[in-house]
Amino acid sequence: MTKVLEVAGVEHRFGDTVALDDLALDVAAGECVALLGPNGAGKTTLVNLAVGMLVRQRGTVLVGGADPRWASTRRQLGVVQQTLGFPKVLTVRELITGAAVRGGKPRSSAAPIMAELDLTKLADRRARKLSGGQQQRVQLAMALVAEPRLLILDEPTVGLDMPARRKFWEIIARRRAAGVGVLVTTHLIEETAAVADRVVVLNHGRVVTSGSPTELVARFPDRTVLARTAVPERRLAELPGVLSVRREDALVRLATREPEELLRVLLAEDPALSGLRVEGTGLAEAVLAFTGGSARPNAEVRA
Amino acid sequence: MSTAVLQRVSLGRVLRAEIADELRGIVREPTALFFSILMPVGFFALFVSIFGDLTDGTMPAGTRMVATFGTFGVLAATMLNPGIGIAQDREIGWLRAKRVSAVPVLITLLCKVVAALCYAIAMLVAMAVTAGLTGSLEATAGQLLRLAVVLLLGAAPFALLGIAIGLQAGSNATAAILNAVLMPSAVVSGLWMPLEILPDFFGHIAQFLPTYHLSQLAIAQLDGGPVLGHALVMLGSTAALAAAAALSYRHARP
Repeated sequence: MTKVLEVAGVEHRFGDTVALDDLALDVAAGECVALLGPNGAGKTTLVNLAVGMLVRQRGTVLVGGADPRWASTRRQLGVVQQTLGFPKVLTVRELITGAAVRGGKPRSSAAPIMAELDLTKLADRRARKLSGGQQQRVQLAMALVAEPRLLILDEPTVGLDMPARRKFWEIIARRRAAGVGVLVTTHLIEETAAVADRVVVLNHGRVVTSGSPTELVARFPDRTVLARTAVPERRLAELPGVLSVRREDALVRLATREPEELLRVLLAEDPALSGLRVEGTGLAEAVLAFTGGSARPNAEVRA
Repeated sequence: MSTAVLQRVSLGRVLRAEIADELRGIVREPTALFFSILMPVGFFALFVSIFGDLTDGTMPAGTRMVATFGTFGVLAATMLNPGIGIAQDREIGWLRAKRVSAVPVLITLLCKVVAALCYAIAMLVAMAVTAGLTGSLEATAGQLLRLAVVLLLGAAPFALLGIAIGLQAGSNATAAILNAVLMPSAVVSGLWMPLEILPDFFGHIAQFLPTYHLSQLAIAQLDGGPVLGHALVMLGSTAALAAAAALSYRHARP
């Protein structure tokens, strides 16, 4: 399948700090790749290289087969930033037609995209009068109006309510169906699980692991037992099969690979136990584990 | 139609769109006109009404002031407007949005300067009309046109300085820094009051300031004075500040 983003052997340093270390990543046409990892993992540096904001030090970064430092290459690129302020005097229509012109499209291409994003009624409203959610929709319209081959979304749904998020991802899904590749960075990991074909986990500038959200979660056979109990943490840690204990106010979270056995022992220890619940590992816990957090991946699978 | 022609057409559309956006800012935020046009023209009117009829034997002071105050006004517009505008755009993330678009950021910066030149032209016209109304303007249309062209071209190094600062500092800091550079330079270079009525050391310091040399180039369009030395200083200043702006751009935060 055609690759719309190719990153290979990329190394990038800021002084003595290694931001990216021999990094490789690609996004195929129509694919949605989520870039996850803790702060400082290298996500922003990678995005800045992909949008042509940083000068490449070593390795290859290609958008649609060309260097994103070239303005003509960036015609293939649509970018949604986490926070973007607009010049407050410009109207929604002017912002979107401006983006169309900058992307080499006719001014008339703004109307259909405004309709798709429910912005037609706001067309003559100035940017200063837009709510946060409306601004985010305008930004998406600006990213889409030039019909890019690659969308780079940096925390794109921050500030959007649930219906707006759903609508956002529906629009992205339509573009993907038309062959647009998507690279998304977000801290809303469970949202990512629902939309991404592939998750790439970064830490210390390297790809720690990658795979579909289901594959990553499947590498963690752990279950979490949640309960309200008066049993001290120290005693809980000694119970058979307990891998870790975390207390959140009255609630304790016990990681285990043998939930049934643990439940039996737990009920014997504390007959007044309440709020009992068993959860599987989510993508958030899996990512946390891969980047050195508290959960632990299955060693055999990880190897 | 060849690709090259297509690209030219596209560039023309982009330039029009970018300049239109900048000018919309002027029209829709008229308070900016106060600082960029009304204040310099107001001061000009005040000084012309007081000193306009005095003469140094070559021309009335009111005519000379079109060159000197005109220099100040053009520099205020072309240095402050793009500089502060770039800093504001950078603060809100708009400059980044432009930088990741398919338009070279140089075009964006150029359009900010071109829009500022529109202010500058309006201000020069207002000053010439004011001088004319007070009866102290003795210059042909050709002389005034040459004066305007010299000032608009000579504004380049100052616009580059504004860009260099705007790419690094916040908008408030940019305004403060650029005003701190412009105001003393304007006074010492004799843009507000003739150097002849100021202490001698002002004249010595002025020799080192591009603001002085630009004003002398402007005056030369009216009295036919020498231009070469002043032009060389302006070319050197442009080269140095272009390098500074390029360096600032290279080190600007993404």
